[in-house]
Amino acid sequence: MLETIPDKRHQVKRNKEDKKVIWKDKYAIGVEVIDRQHKELFERFNKFLKVVRSEHSMEEKIDDIEETFNFMGEYVIAHFQSEEAVQKKYNFPEYERHHQIHENFKKDVMEFKRKFEEDKYNEELIMEFSGRILTWLINHVTGEDQKISKYINRKEEE
Amino acid sequence: MKATYINPIYIAAREVFQNMFSIELEREDLRVDEKIVPNHVINVSIGITGDLKGTIVFSFPEEMVFNLVEEMAGMEFKEFDTFMASAIGELANIITGNAMSNLSESGYSCNIVPPQITVGLNKSFSTASKQILIIPIQAGNKNFDLYISIKE
Ligand SMILES: [Fe+2]
Repeated sequence: MLETIPDKRHQVKRNKEDKKVIWKDKYAIGVEVIDRQHKELFERFNKFLKVVRSEHSMEEKIDDIEETFNFMGEYVIAHFQSEEAVQKKYNFPEYERHHQIHENFKKDVMEFKRKFEEDKYNEELIMEFSGRILTWLINHVTGEDQKISKYINRKEEE
Repeated sequence: MKATYINPIYIAAREVFQNMFSIELEREDLRVDEKIVPNHVINVSIGITGDLKGTIVFSFPEEMVFNLVEEMAGMEFKEFDTFMASAIGELANIITGNAMSNLSESGYSCNIVPPQITVGLNKSFSTASKQILIIPIQAGNKNFDLYISIKE
């Protein structure tokens, strides 16, 4: 049996990059259950990003891309549900608007999944999608989601 | 072009930079020009349709784009590629979207066209009006420009 020689270059680079994460504590909104989930979501997205951005060929990384994408996608749905339940519990006045934003994002993710399955080795498609959702996620968590915690905190002070 | 469009756009940019990057934007004196000739290499142009029509161009220096995207992604990039273009395009898209929803409070109902990213100087942009307003913005130790060409 042929033994494959591990590519040290990739390994060194990966290890160095693994220490870095997208999540930053300043992204926390101050509602514990939501922050815990955001952290998990960012960790899953980080895994996806590391694979997408690795220097391996598409043939080598395609399975990992698919696996990490699904792992993240599952959690997006679970997290949105849970976050919307928190909003409902506190009668968050912008619930409908926020729900629509979540729905649009899920549509965007599903649309990517469909295109990706049609054209699996299209690296440009994957780069375009992952770059866009990186910005989207950080903006959503630091913008829209911050409004939830502001509202809850105000309500609890009353 | 009315100055009333300017503030909602700048306020949207300021909020997003503050939330996402903890960077306080400061605007410098407005300039007026007849065409859009960007000063910086990476330009994101976003079309506006509806009650207001036109284009906003975000003109960023390359180093600033690297800093922003590397900060978000927690990784380093060797060259400007589709991933970076898409990440910075989405940033401009979000700011413009927020700006339009600020403007809808003044009664303007508008939609935006997905971002178009161009790299390099000396690119030309078609404009809706003969008067372009330029907002030079300081973002920490970097500068970028907003070119606004809008008519009713
Ligand atoms: Fe949310």
